[in-house]
Amino acid sequence: MTSQPTSRTVRVFRYDPAEGGDGHFDAYTLDIPAPETTTILDVLLRIQREQDPSLSFRFACRVNMCGSCGMVINGREALACKTNVAHLPPAQDITIRPLNHFPVIKDLVVDMDPFFAKYEDALPFFEPAVEHDEPYAIKPDNQARIDIGMATDCIACGCCVSSCTMVNHHAGYAGPAALNRAFTLLADQRDGLFEARLTRALDSCYACRTEFNCTEVCPKQISGTRAIKYIQRLALKHLKSLKPLSAHPVEEAAKERAKDAPQPVATGCSCGGHHHDAPAASPAAATACPPAGAEAACASRRTFLTAAVGAGAVAVLGGILGTAAVAPTQVRTPAQWVPVAALKDIPVGEVSTLPLGYTRTQAFHSEQVQSTLLVRHDAPGQVLCFSNACPHLGCAVSWDPLSSRFKCACHGGAFDRDGNVIAGPPPRGLTRLPWKVEDGILKVEVV
Amino acid sequence: MVQGGFNVVLNPEDSHEKHLMDTLKGGQYINNQDLAKQLVEEATPTVKELETICGCFFDRFPDGRVHQKPFAGQSFDRTVHRGDLTGIEIISRTTEQVFKRRIPVLEETRAVELLLDATGKTVTGALLYDMRRGEFLVVEAAATLVATGGGPTQYRFHAPGPEKSADGIAMLYRAGVRMRDMEMIQFHPTGLIVPGSVVAGALLEEGLRGAGAHLYNGEGERYMQRYAPDVAERATRDVVSRSAYMEMMAGRACPEGGVQIDAAHMGADFVLKSFPGMAERCAQFGYDLVRGRVPVSPTAHFFMGGAEINTDCQASLHKLFVAGEDAGGVHGANRLGGNGIAESCVYGRLAGKSLARFLSKDRGIAKTAPGLVKSMVARLREPLSRIGGRSPLQIRHDIQETNWLKVGIIRNQKDLDEALPIFRSLGDDVERASVAQSNACNMVYNVWLDTRSMIDVSIMAATSALLRDETRGAHTRLDFPEQRDDYGLFNTFLWRGEDGMPVTEKKPVEFTHKPVEACQKWKK
Repeated sequence: MTSQPTSRTVRVFRYDPAEGGDGHFDAYTLDIPAPETTTILDVLLRIQREQDPSLSFRFACRVNMCGSCGMVINGREALACKTNVAHLPPAQDITIRPLNHFPVIKDLVVDMDPFFAKYEDALPFFEPAVEHDEPYAIKPDNQARIDIGMATDCIACGCCVSSCTMVNHHAGYAGPAALNRAFTLLADQRDGLFEARLTRALDSCYACRTEFNCTEVCPKQISGTRAIKYIQRLALKHLKSLKPLSAHPVEEAAKERAKDAPQPVATGCSCGGHHHDAPAASPAAATACPPAGAEAACASRRTFLTAAVGAGAVAVLGGILGTAAVAPTQVRTPAQWVPVAALKDIPVGEVSTLPLGYTRTQAFHSEQVQSTLLVRHDAPGQVLCFSNACPHLGCAVSWDPLSSRFKCACHGGAFDRDGNVIAGPPPRGLTRLPWKVEDGILKVEVV
Repeated sequence: MVQGGFNVVLNPEDSHEKHLMDTLKGGQYINNQDLAKQLVEEATPTVKELETICGCFFDRFPDGRVHQKPFAGQSFDRTVHRGDLTGIEIISRTTEQVFKRRIPVLEETRAVELLLDATGKTVTGALLYDMRRGEFLVVEAAATLVATGGGPTQYRFHAPGPEKSADGIAMLYRAGVRMRDMEMIQFHPTGLIVPGSVVAGALLEEGLRGAGAHLYNGEGERYMQRYAPDVAERATRDVVSRSAYMEMMAGRACPEGGVQIDAAHMGADFVLKSFPGMAERCAQFGYDLVRGRVPVSPTAHFFMGGAEINTDCQASLHKLFVAGEDAGGVHGANRLGGNGIAESCVYGRLAGKSLARFLSKDRGIAKTAPGLVKSMVARLREPLSRIGGRSPLQIRHDIQETNWLKVGIIRNQKDLDEALPIFRSLGDDVERASVAQSNACNMVYNVWLDTRSMIDVSIMAATSALLRDETRGAHTRLDFPEQRDDYGLFNTFLWRGEDGMPVTEKKPVEFTHKPVEACQKWKK
């Protein structure tokens, strides 16, 4: 035994938005005499109380029910209140950092807007199939209810999304939490949005690579993987009945309701700016929105349980007149110019397929982007640059010189040499990227 | 967050009459009967809407009907639930309906003060604090609803999470709203004891006692048989908490400092199946609910008191509505387990309807008193530039200890008299506190905001407690140990006077539906 057998070093990620930069880890030494009954949340509260009041993190219920304190503890996603020091290997440093795949607001606090953007996009709400005043008689051994099980207990902590590697590789991927909620509603016989929901889930359900990370880290023991497989089976069964993405299904109903509802008196609604700006704040969120009704879907995002259980909320109804504007919490990730190749090396009169690699950074949240660029070089200095991501489901589009078309192998989408859709399911043409030539180097602008 | 469940009449053999009588008996007769009657009658359509409109799915009987389980103090098994974690189901499903309806929400924004017009009689909106950015914002409105969910975290042990800090009740009081029954603070009898952890005080749910769990003191005696021979552990929360505290004070505590709950005698399979969340919560801290006994202590849980409202949720100022735990009167001197989520859902729904009716006639926004916002914000920012004041974390600790020892489960005049000057002095500490300057996510500054609220509710509770020289419901006076129905059938009212001190009033209870004799005779 050493002289301080109960002393532990805790390394905590720190990021101050006023300073910017990449952030860093601070080390704190604490005496933890009862690791069996000391949670990581207790550890953070003690650091804040005894050593560093500037430390920021989220928590609310402290009993595994609100999902506010999701973070990465010793490399693994967990709730701070559900992880005891004794659960971690003894006599080693404890390392605590914010969730992956989310922009950092401060220290361990991340911006969950991208999470809820995807969540909302999965239509995560009950819509009664028929109006019904009495609760349905549903026996406990009903197969659908057994399938759903406790999967509705999701507390939206974000651990699953943080643990998912595919979320990182596939910007449009809804991720396990959103797909799990979609699954519980698809299996719910009382719900009336089956087709719309399945159509949306279809966008994502094949992006899962069955790694079971989400299943392993879920603090509520929900299996995102199982939910996604369930949707894949449904998709096979119902593929023929699915239609292209339409507008948000409650849009029409909302318009109807708006006609009846009293109109706000005041014009300067302080909320509007916030929600309309929000999509721009995070690129991942923006791409998660469907092409149709994207504006509307993005405009409605908001955090979920943090609001429901967070510090006091006063609901202010009626005409709302904001005398202070609410701005987004996040700085927009700046667009950047990325070099592609020397223009002289790109053959004229052909379409070339070129690799495009760059880094997207914001504090802890740093992302390596590896994508492919399709460059049509008509005459020296006359260039068109296309993203190779199919606007349908994001598969790689390639140039077929024989037919002079861009083709997508996944679902037979085809585009003419200007990138316009000529066949298949893509909802719009190929995305063109702004370009310029500097010192003989072709550069494109990416976000 | 609610674990246990939602009391509601669904079975034809049950009745609203019975639910009302249970609620009045549980409240020791000083409920606002109009509000209590509305609660039980509206609970039925509300819980149905939660299933049919919001998509909640509650546990079922084998025949497919919604399951109802027994809770303490009820004449019928009427508690609807989803396992032993019911609140998260209701919160998740209703929040999704907010998504669906595209209702704008200000994230991580807390209300700090209500705004008033120059007369001080009309609420014009609220001053909010954006916790992410550390900025204040003003929202002016044609009508304002305060529904922050109370939260008596001003005690050493508290069941609600520390993010609750009675903000709503405190800002209503500071705005001059008429408050009632503020001495009535419920202690839940079974808060988990985890020494040194923030989880201390978190609940083991009521259904355990409802299902038949026993309570033992440190000497291994089932002491509730002595305090409540007829119902023992299924007595109401006020009785069970008081009894546990008596045992602890008499030196018969268990080694961890409280008493012990024993669910294991009901069988491991039953406990695991019926209370998986509770079993898991205990296991995390090395306690075995399934096969052993778990140390528990009474823990501050709920404000029965709050703003005085009418059945339309309107409070004493114009354009002001209050619902849920921030309002008082529904539960009288003690709330039944399962009537809490019923109140928040029923009155949340009614407040919405009432606001819509109100706004259909009056959509004008009154003018906020000139200079009010500026002076509020200047004062609220002071701790950020002050050096040398006490830390809000220390002040919060002192407030919690003072309340626990002097305005707690068992009170007496001497302690209450001593507590008030301590609160005033701690209030001065709050006014002179220092917080390190930082805008984004400044948690200590938020604790400072908490302490402002805590001081106000502490003063309200101690002041009201001195007005009631008897023991009734959650209010236990060692110097007046008996319930005195020839004296105590009144409500205490209190509001902030011109000098900043509370003005008090006592008013007899109005028995608008059930005479007191009927309530006294009612047996479950």
